[in-house]
Amino acid sequence: MDPARRSTETWRSHILRQLKHRDLSQTSMFQDLIRFYTQLLEKTSLTKAVLSSSNRRDCADSSSSLSSLQEQTSWMKKSTGELAYQVVELQQKIQIKTCFLQDQQDSLQVEKRRLGGVSDACQTLQKQVDHFNLENRKLKEDYDSLLERQRWAESKLREQKVQEEEMLEKMLQLKNQAAARMNNRNERRSRARQATLQKDLQTAARSKVTIDSSSSAPSSRSTSPKPELHVSRGRGQTRLFRKRRGHSVSSLKEDLLYPVGFCVSARVPARSLQVLEAHEQGINAVRFSFSSDLLATGGTDRIVKLWELRAGSLTHRTTLDGSTEGITCIEFDPMGQKVLAASYDRSALLWRVDDSVPKVALTGHSRKVTAAKFTRVSNQVVTGSLDRTVRLWDLQRTACVQQVEVVSSCSDLVCSENIIISGHFDCKIRVWDSRLASCTQELPAQGRVTSLDLSSDRRQLLICCRDDCLQLVDLRRWSNERLCFRAEGFKCGSDSTRAVMSPDGCYLAAGSADGAVYIWNVSTGTLETRLPDKHSSSISAVSWSPSGEYVVSVDRSRRAILWSDI
Amino acid sequence: MADDKDVLRDVWFGRIPTCFTLNPDEATEREAEPYYLLLPRVSYLPLVTDKVKKHFLKVMKAEDVEMWFEYEGTPLKWHYPVGVLFDLHASNTVLPWSITVHFKSFPDQDLLHCPSNSVVEAHFMSSIKEADALKHKSQVINDMQKKDHKQLWMGLQNDKFDQFWAMNRKLMEYSTEEGGFRYIPFRIYQTSSDRPFIQKLFRPVSPEGSAHTLGDLLNEMYPDKKRYQVLIHGIEPLLETPLQWLSEHLSHPDNFLHICVVPAPTD
Repeated sequence: MDPARRSTETWRSHILRQLKHRDLSQTSMFQDLIRFYTQLLEKTSLTKAVLSSSNRRDCADSSSSLSSLQEQTSWMKKSTGELAYQVVELQQKIQIKTCFLQDQQDSLQVEKRRLGGVSDACQTLQKQVDHFNLENRKLKEDYDSLLERQRWAESKLREQKVQEEEMLEKMLQLKNQAAARMNNRNERRSRARQATLQKDLQTAARSKVTIDSSSSAPSSRSTSPKPELHVSRGRGQTRLFRKRRGHSVSSLKEDLLYPVGFCVSARVPARSLQVLEAHEQGINAVRFSFSSDLLATGGTDRIVKLWELRAGSLTHRTTLDGSTEGITCIEFDPMGQKVLAASYDRSALLWRVDDSVPKVALTGHSRKVTAAKFTRVSNQVVTGSLDRTVRLWDLQRTACVQQVEVVSSCSDLVCSENIIISGHFDCKIRVWDSRLASCTQELPAQGRVTSLDLSSDRRQLLICCRDDCLQLVDLRRWSNERLCFRAEGFKCGSDSTRAVMSPDGCYLAAGSADGAVYIWNVSTGTLETRLPDKHSSSISAVSWSPSGEYVVSVDRSRRAILWSDI
Repeated sequence: MADDKDVLRDVWFGRIPTCFTLNPDEATEREAEPYYLLLPRVSYLPLVTDKVKKHFLKVMKAEDVEMWFEYEGTPLKWHYPVGVLFDLHASNTVLPWSITVHFKSFPDQDLLHCPSNSVVEAHFMSSIKEADALKHKSQVINDMQKKDHKQLWMGLQNDKFDQFWAMNRKLMEYSTEEGGFRYIPFRIYQTSSDRPFIQKLFRPVSPEGSAHTLGDLLNEMYPDKKRYQVLIHGIEPLLETPLQWLSEHLSHPDNFLHICVVPAPTD
């Protein structure tokens, strides 16, 4: 079969070759050419068509019309683009406007609702207004009626007043008439008396006795250097004679109330038995009671402390408070049951012993009370103050019965029967009659009087002065001869330094500014002892016990020292 | 075989470069440019000359006139395949093939009228049926449905090789015991002859069983063979090419083997 196959292959391959050759020669040579030719033909035909269409109108613009057409198309494209853009813009604006419109409508709705609410409120308010107007009218009517009534009542009142005045006038007239009648009667009586008196006088004058001078004497003695208050002048004119009160030391029943503790002899203290920090602040005053077993101290801390003295030692018993300011002076009553204290708070206070609340407070001074003492009259207290008055008080009535104005401030007082002796800053001692409340004598002192003390027989008066001198005055004689005691180193510490006499009258004790206690002998007139070194500051007061055994001194630095000779 | 497929494709896609020129007598004020076109060999003139008509009608400005072609005075019959026309009349001339386009004075004696493409379709389908009658006693073509016939025509009209051959291969099948078709459908064309073509019954296989060749066919039909060129689809196959193979592969779409015998070119 090979040759057959080979032969088939030959004619087959021949045919294939032939076909390929044919295609090559006939087709592929002309393919591209014909394609391009056809394209060119199409383009030319198109151009021809364009040219022919424009040729119908204008031959000259054949070439430019194409470009113009192209320009026209491009311009149209541009304009369409612009118009599209404008359309978009306008649409946006429309959207914005619709939104805005919506908002406006919403706000309009809101406003309408609000308006509805407001109109409702307005209506309710209107109703309220009407209601109030109605009420106002009613009130006005009531008011008018009340006004009417008031006017009627006023007129009535006026009429009544007029009537009253008339009645009063009538009454006055009647009374005047009665008074006139009385006056007339009195006048007649006095005229009658005068007439009888004249007659007597005339008869007496005819006797021709030299009674003219004696009649004038009482009138001169009745005048006193000091003015008198609280005595009506009317009475003084009718009374021609006055009883004269003298300086008699009369023994009244009142004296029996005072226990007479007599001291045989006082002992000069030699050393300190006890040193106490007695108070919180400085101590101003110290006093033994009349029975020698109680001691009272008082000072700036506004309290009075009572101490019991037993067997040479002091124990605290009670505290009396009630003063609002510092204590200046303390005194026990003669029975030993009451304590009287004068205070910076312008009052004097009275306690019962062991009763820490004051029973009585005597107020009335306008400045600090420097001394308060019991007078010999029962239930009477005399106080002296820096306000330059001395007052007498009645304890039962707790009232000031007399008040005496002094020239100078009083620094201390002592009382004897019917007399009160006061020491003043103007270096004078004044003696008062307690019953008359008038100054009977005025004695000069060496310097500013700081304290006074009376001896137990009340014959001697000890004056302590600021110029560091102690004076002893005999009360009976009232002479200017005085015993004067000085010592080296003794200085008065303050305006209220207290000096005391011993109960037997032989010694004087005083505290000095240097913190030592000085003791003088009266008979010798010299310093007996000096007790130093116990006080750290100036001594403000000393007190000698009535039994004579103890001396207590107190100072500014709160110390109280008990001295004795044991 | 792959080569046979190539043959079929080459046959189908064969082209002839043609230059259509308007008859100068029929030109109007403007000169008409000639129209160049690559004509498919296997198609018919009315199917492929629409553009030509459009091109020349622009110049002609005449409507509803029948276009006819002529080559060097010879009106070209439209019912012949284009390749046949070329091989017959201008196989050895200078390419492109110059055809003159006429619009007027249609030669009724020589040409048939072709008012529309459906006429061409009818002609084509009748050719196929005739060929199948020869090959299979019309069994295959009668078994085909109407749509298959339509597919054959559409494939040709639209130049769709695969679409056409999907149907056409059925027509190319034969039972093995036969060894080939019953008769080979062929037409032999001659330029100088009173008869348009020669068509006779011819069996592909000899009674002895050997395959007839092209030479056998020609000897039968042409006792004398002077200096002639035998062209099928523009090529000269060897004379010993078996006829059965030729009919299967080198037939035109109308299933006929169109053979052109032209005088050999004298150099």
